[in-house]
Amino acid sequence: MEKQEILSAIQKLVADILEQKGLDVVTLDASTELLGGELGIDSLDLATLVRELEETTGRDPFSEGFIEFRTAGELADLYVR
Amino acid sequence: MQRKHVLVTGGSRGLGAHLIRGLLADGYRVSTCSRTRTPVIEELLGQPEVSDRFFWGPCQVGVAEEVDTFVRDAVAWAGADGLYGVINNAGIAQAGILASFPNVESEKILQVNLLGAIQVARAASQYLLKAKDGGRIINISSIIGTRGYNGLAAYSASKAGMDGLTRALARELGRRGITVNSVAPGYMKTDMSSTLNAGQLAQIVNRTPLRRLASEEDVLGLVRFLLSDAAAMITGQTILVDGGVSC
Ligand SMILES: NC(=O)c1ccc[n+]([C@@H]2O[C@H](COP(=O)([O-])OP(=O)(O)OC[C@H]3O[C@@H](n4cnc5c(N)ncnc54)[C@H](OP(=O)(O)O)[C@@H]3O)[C@@H](O)[C@H]2O)c1
Repeated sequence: MEKQEILSAIQKLVADILEQKGLDVVTLDASTELLGGELGIDSLDLATLVRELEETTGRDPFSEGFIEFRTAGELADLYVR
Repeated sequence: MQRKHVLVTGGSRGLGAHLIRGLLADGYRVSTCSRTRTPVIEELLGQPEVSDRFFWGPCQVGVAEEVDTFVRDAVAWAGADGLYGVINNAGIAQAGILASFPNVESEKILQVNLLGAIQVARAASQYLLKAKDGGRIINISSIIGTRGYNGLAAYSASKAGMDGLTRALARELGRRGITVNSVAPGYMKTDMSSTLNAGQLAQIVNRTPLRRLASEEDVLGLVRFLLSDAAAMITGQTILVDGGVSC
């Protein structure tokens, strides 16, 4: 999958989470910080998002160990083939 | 009709078989796995009153890919009922003085009892978190995880590790209303404890304030309670079902 496609998938998953929490949906870009910023998701939300991305893309970039990422773009990069 | 789905590992024999029978009788939807498809599994799959609420999958707890597949299949089978409870029951034991205990046996025990429980909790928590309406994780530990016992070093370490998993996950998942507790039985008469001779069993009974061994039914009682709404405020605990032997 292309990076842009993965970013869109992340956007959709984040929107679903925010909607379920009753929060305003935020449009994100590659530089949006996933945690600690303005987004309103917590570490448990991020964990479920990562597992959903694994299902969407059929890839698990963390199978060999943990990789640091902060922004939506950095996360998307991990799934680009 | 909405039914709460509880996944129990190692339901083919012993305590696990008793737990799944009890939970099916209570009306839960129950999924279980084991390495072998035993007569217990065949019987439940063939019983018209429960067969539509019962799912079995072959799975070796301790092998992450098999655990992921089983948990995914069980949740898919439950459909709209999702997943409410997880009981880490599958376990193995082997006794021996550590100085001469084969390393490979220690590795097997840690692989199934501890890593296996972590794998199951990981795979299941993804679905528990998605459900957004809380949930229950119950780890079947042992009094041997809280007290020292001669000849059970690796097993004891695996169960103490499980109790640590319980406390850490209770903190991690608490804010989503998911409780995590350990149930630690004393000696029960199952295949696992079959190497104890009559003299050893009598000695345990003599040292037990309530003067008998724990039974699978005693453990089921606590599991039932922890799954119920009445236990919604209990998390991160190791609760002993041992007739007071370790008090
Ligand atoms: N018996 C006791 O006195 C006692 C006391 C305290 C705590 N416990 C704990 O209670 C739990 C149940 O013990 P039990 O006495 O019922 O033992 P058991 O009679 O030996 O039964 C163990 C169950 O776990 C399953 N199992 C074992 N390894 C597995 C694996 N790798 N993957 C999937 N399933 C596996 C077995 O099925 P298959 O062989 O078909 O795979 C079986 O259904 C264990 O965690 C044990 O440590 C037992």
